[in-house]
Amino acid sequence: MKKIRHFLIPYRRTLILMVVLGTLSSVADSFYPLFTSYALDHFIAGQTLDTMPMFIGAYIGLMILQELDNYYCLFQCGRIEMCLDCDLRDTAFHHLQTLSFTYFNQHNVGSIHARVMSDTGKIGEMFAWRLMDLVWNVSYVICVFAVMFTIHRQLAFFVALIIPIAVVIIYSFQKKLTGYNRKVREINAEITDRFNEGLSGMQSIQINHVEQKMFRRFQDTTSRMYQTSIKTTHYAALLTAVVTMMSSCALAIVLQQGGYLTASGALRIGTLAVFMSYAIGLLSPIQNIMDTIASWIGIRVNIDRLSELLAQQPEVKDTPAVIEKYGTVFVQKRNNWEPLNGDVSFEDVTFRYPDGTENVLEHFSLHVPQGSTVGIVGETGAGKSTLVNLVCRFYEPQQGRILIDGRDVRKRSQSWLHAHIGYVLQTPQLFSGTIRENLKYGNEQADDRQIEKALHLMAADDIVRQFPEGLDHEIGEGGDSLSTGQKQLLSLTRALLADPQILILDEATASIDTLTERKIQNAIRTVSAGRTTFVIAHRLSTVTDADWIIAIRDGKIEEQGTHAELMKQNGYYAELVRHQNMSASAENGGIA
Amino acid sequence: MDKQNERIKNRHLMIRFLSGSKRFFIAGMICACFVAFFDLINPKIIQYFVDALVGTPASASSGLMRYIRSLSVAKNYSAMAALVVVMAMAAAAFRYAFQYLNAKGAEALTRRMRDLLFEHLTRTTAAWRSAHRSGDLLQRCTSDVETIKVFVSEQMTKLFQILLMIAFSLYFMISIHPVLALIAAAYIPVMVGGSIYFHRRIGESFETVDREEGKLSAIVQENLTGVRVVRAFGKEAYEQERFKKQNHGYTNLWVHLMKIMASFWVSGNVIATLRDLIVMSAGIIFCVNGSLTAGEFTAFISYNALLAMPVRGLGRIIAELSKAGISLGRLREIMEAPTEPETGTAKPNMNQTISFNHVSFAYRKQMVLEDVSMVIPAGATIGIFGATGSGKSTLAMLLDRFYEPDRGTITIGGTPLSEIERSWLRDHVGIVSQEPYLFSGTLKDNILLAADQTSAIDHVTAMAGLTHTVETFPQGYETYVGQRGITLSGGQKQRTAIAQMLIRRTPIMIFDDSFSALDAETDEAIRRRLRAEPQSATRIYISHRVATLMHADRIYVLDHGRIVEQGTHEELIRQGGLYAKSAALQMRGEEKQ
Repeated sequence: MKKIRHFLIPYRRTLILMVVLGTLSSVADSFYPLFTSYALDHFIAGQTLDTMPMFIGAYIGLMILQELDNYYCLFQCGRIEMCLDCDLRDTAFHHLQTLSFTYFNQHNVGSIHARVMSDTGKIGEMFAWRLMDLVWNVSYVICVFAVMFTIHRQLAFFVALIIPIAVVIIYSFQKKLTGYNRKVREINAEITDRFNEGLSGMQSIQINHVEQKMFRRFQDTTSRMYQTSIKTTHYAALLTAVVTMMSSCALAIVLQQGGYLTASGALRIGTLAVFMSYAIGLLSPIQNIMDTIASWIGIRVNIDRLSELLAQQPEVKDTPAVIEKYGTVFVQKRNNWEPLNGDVSFEDVTFRYPDGTENVLEHFSLHVPQGSTVGIVGETGAGKSTLVNLVCRFYEPQQGRILIDGRDVRKRSQSWLHAHIGYVLQTPQLFSGTIRENLKYGNEQADDRQIEKALHLMAADDIVRQFPEGLDHEIGEGGDSLSTGQKQLLSLTRALLADPQILILDEATASIDTLTERKIQNAIRTVSAGRTTFVIAHRLSTVTDADWIIAIRDGKIEEQGTHAELMKQNGYYAELVRHQNMSASAENGGIA
Repeated sequence: MDKQNERIKNRHLMIRFLSGSKRFFIAGMICACFVAFFDLINPKIIQYFVDALVGTPASASSGLMRYIRSLSVAKNYSAMAALVVVMAMAAAAFRYAFQYLNAKGAEALTRRMRDLLFEHLTRTTAAWRSAHRSGDLLQRCTSDVETIKVFVSEQMTKLFQILLMIAFSLYFMISIHPVLALIAAAYIPVMVGGSIYFHRRIGESFETVDREEGKLSAIVQENLTGVRVVRAFGKEAYEQERFKKQNHGYTNLWVHLMKIMASFWVSGNVIATLRDLIVMSAGIIFCVNGSLTAGEFTAFISYNALLAMPVRGLGRIIAELSKAGISLGRLREIMEAPTEPETGTAKPNMNQTISFNHVSFAYRKQMVLEDVSMVIPAGATIGIFGATGSGKSTLAMLLDRFYEPDRGTITIGGTPLSEIERSWLRDHVGIVSQEPYLFSGTLKDNILLAADQTSAIDHVTAMAGLTHTVETFPQGYETYVGQRGITLSGGQKQRTAIAQMLIRRTPIMIFDDSFSALDAETDEAIRRRLRAEPQSATRIYISHRVATLMHADRIYVLDHGRIVEQGTHEELIRQGGLYAKSAALQMRGEEKQ
C-alpha cells in the first residue's frame, strides 16, 4: 500500500480537485428535484408564469456548471487511470530488468506477466473510477439527507430508517456473491484449459481414440459451470429484486406519512414531490457505495502482488563505487569501460543456488585462457548451466571469486560484462520485429553490409532470401514464421554480429535434421573461433575438440580434463561416450 | 446472393445453438413485460395521490385505475402506500423470475455451444486442424461464444426491455397529454441516432487500442521468456526503452479516446437535461392553462425520467448488434469444419502383414510421398530413416488414417484401410509422436489415458524408463502435470507418452521420432526392454538418429518422399548411400577417438 501511495503523488492536486468537483456535481444532482418542487408550488399551485425566464435561466445555468464539472471529472478520471497504469507498468517493467535470476526461476512467466499487465490496470481503475464512484455516491446521499432534514425533519427520519436495513441485506448478499463469483471464474479458466487441450492435444486424443472420454470430461466441466452460474444468478437476481422493492417501500413511507402531513397543511405539495423522488432514487447509490467498498477490499490482492514485485531486491548488485565509474544498466558510462579479453578464472569457488540446500560447487578452481573452449557435459537436468550462470554473473558465489582478465568480476559492472558476452540458447529466442532488428540486437551499429556478410558466413542468407521483404521481414511474436533450425541460425548470426569476447552456447538438441544440424555445427565453429567459449553440450561429438571438458552429474562436477585424458580415466565421461555411440564403434571397426 | 446464403446459414446455426434454451428466454421475456407494467403503475398512483391532495383527480378508465382513484378520493393514504408496496412486491417477484430465467437460458445456451464445439472438434480432420492456428480457434471457442451469449441474454433482452419500456411509457404519457408526449418523444430519435453514429465511429478507435495493448503485452511476454538473452546481451536499457515507447503510445491513445468519450457522455447529459427542462416548462404551461393537473404533471415527469436511461443505452446496443453476426460466422467455420468420414466396417485381425502399395500423397499441393511400397510382416521391427521433411512422419499418419493417400493403397492382412472401421483401426495402432501432449491431470491420469489398467502401470512405467522420474516426485504418480501442473522436460514427456502407448498393448506400435529428446543411453535401454517383451507386436521406429534404428529387422530410407534405400543396418552401411553418410556424420566423435 505504501509503495502504491507514492505513485499517486504526481496526481494529488488533480485528485483533490476531482473530489471537490465530484462533490459539487452530486450537490447539483440533488438540486434538480427542487425545480419540480418549485414548479408545483409556485407555477402550478399559483397558476402563474411570472418567474418563468428566471426559472429556465437558473436551470440552464445549473446544467452548464454541472456538465462542465462533469466533463472535467470524467476526462481527468480516465486520464489518471491511464497515466497511473502507465507509471505502474513502467516502474514494474524497469524493476524487472534489474532483478536477479532467482526471481525468474521462482515465478512463472504467466504470473509475472499478470502483475505487469493486469494488476496495474486494476489498481489504476480503482484509484480513478472507483474513487470517484465513492465520492459521487456518498456526497449524493449526504446531500439528499441534508435537504430532506432541512425541509422536514420527521419525514426525513422515517426515510432514514430504511438505510440500516438495506445495508445489512446488501452486505449479506455481497458476501455470498463474492464466493460464487470466484468459483465461476475458476471454472471458466478450467473450460478455457479444456478447450486448449482439445485444440492442441486433439491429435493425441484421436491417436489414443479417447474422444468420448475427453468429451465426457468436458461436459462435466460445462455442467458444473451451468450449476454454479445459476446459483450465482439466483443470489444476484434476489438482491436486485429486494433492493428495488426497498426503494418502493421508501416511497410508500413517504406517501403514507407525507399524505396525512400534506392534507393537514403541514407540508406543501412540492415538498412532498421532492421527498418522493429522493425516496425512489436513494437505494441505488447506497448499493453502489457498498459495491465500491467491496471492490476496494478486493483490490488489496492486486496491490499486494504488485508491491511484492516492486519490493524484490536484486541479489546481484553493483557496488556504489562500480556504478560511479561504470554506470548502471540504464545509464552506461561506456567511456570508462576497459576492453575485455576473455580470460576467465574460477578461484576457490563455493556456490549454492539461493533456493537450494546443497552446495553445487565446492572449492572449485579453473583457469580458462583467452580464446579456449570449455565443454560442459552431463545428463539433462544435471545442472550444466551453473558454471555459465556464474561467468555471466547471473548468480554470485558464496565463497571465492570469479576473475575476468585477472580482476574480480564484482569490481566491474554487470553491463560492462554483458556487453562482451554472446549467448545462444538451446531454444532460440528471437523477438517480434524485423529480421534486421533481431540481428542488430547485440550490435546496434551494424549496417546492412555487415549483416549480409555475417549471414553469408553462417550460411543463413537463404533464410532471408526466401522472404520478398528480405531483412525487413516481420518474424512475428517469438519468430513464429520461422522453423526452429532457421531461428537457431539467426540467433547464431546475432551472436556473431555482437562480436563478443566470451561466447556461451547452450547447444541445440533434437528435432533438427542432420543436414541443418551440420549447418548449425559449422556456424558454431565460425562464431566461436578465437573467442573464449563455453559449450553446454548435449551431443558429445561437439565437445571432443574442446580444450577442457567438465562432466556434471547430479549438479556436481564429476570429472574434468581433456577428451583424451577423460577417456583414459575410463570414468563417468567415458561411460557417457560409450552409451551415446553405443554400437557405432563396432560398426566403424567393421568398415575399417 | 452469397451474403444472403451466409445469413441463412448463420441463422440455422443460431437455431441449433438455441435449442434447449429458447423456452427460458421466452418465459423470461414474458416476465419482463410484467416487470415493466408493475414498475409503471407507481407514477399513476402518485398522480391520483397528488391530485387528491390539491383538488379532484381526473377520471379513470380501467378497473385498477378506478380502484386507485377511489382510494385517493377517500383520502386513504395508508391504503395507497400499501398498494405501492404490493405492486413493488409483484414487480420484485417478476424481476427475480426474469433475471433467473434469462440467466438459465444464457447458461444453457453457453453450455450447448461449448459442448457442440468440443464434440465437433473431436471429429475434425488433422488436415483442417493443421491449417488453423490453435490460438485463433481457442479465441473463437472462448470469446466468440461469450459474445453470442451476451448478444442473446443481454443485448437482445435489453433491447426488448427498452422497447417495452418506451412503448409502455409512451402509452401512459399519451393517455395523460398527447401533445406533451410528442414533445417528450421527439428526443428519442435524436438521442438514439446520435449514439449509433458515435459508437460506429468510435468502434475503430477501440480496435486500434486493443491492438496496441496486444503489442505491449507481447513485449512483456518476450522480455520474460527471453530474459537470458536480454541479460547476456546487456539489453536492459534497450528493452526498457522499447517498452516505454509502446506503453506511452498506448496510454496516449487511451487518453485521447477518453477525451472523446467524456465529450460524448457530457453531450448526452446536456441533451437529456434540456429535454427534462423542455418537458417541465411545457408541462407548467399546460398546467397553468388548465389542460394538465398537478398530479398528471408529477406522473408525467416520472415517466419522462424513466425513459432517459433506456433511450441512452439503445444507441450503443444497436451499434454493437453487428458484432454477434461476425462471431457467429467465426463459430460456424468451426462447426462446418470437415469431419473424418466413416466408411469402413471391417474389423480384421490386426496382427497381420501391413503393406504400402505404391502410395503417393501430396499435402497442400506439395508432393510428400511418392510411390512408396513397403511390406511389414506381423511382429517385425521396422526402421524408417529420413531427414526432416522427408515424409517419414506422414507414413504414420497415413497408417492411422489421419490422411488418405492420393494414389495407391495401404492394407492390413489384405484388407484396405478404407474398409476398416476407423475406431477399430485406432484401437489397434499405437503412435508416440515426437512432441507428445500431456493433459492437465496427474501423471497417472495421463499414463492411463486410453486404458484404465492400474495394475499394469508399474510395468509400463519401467518399460518406458520413467520409474526413476516418478520416484523423484514427492507425489509420485499423483503428481499434477499439464498446463497448471509442473512442467516436465521434453524427455520426461516422451517417456510418459511411451508408457501411455504401451499400456494399450496395441499389436501395431509406431514410435514417431519419440526418442529425440532422450539421451542415447535411455533410448537404447527402452528399445532393449521392448525387444525383450514376450508379446508380439509390429514395431515401427521413425527417426533421423541412426543409433535408434540400427537394430531394426529392416530399414527404409526416405528422401524427398521416396524410398531410396532399404535393407538391414549392415547392408545399408555397405551400400555407402545416404544412410551410411549420415551414420558416419553422426558418429564422427567416435572416429576421433
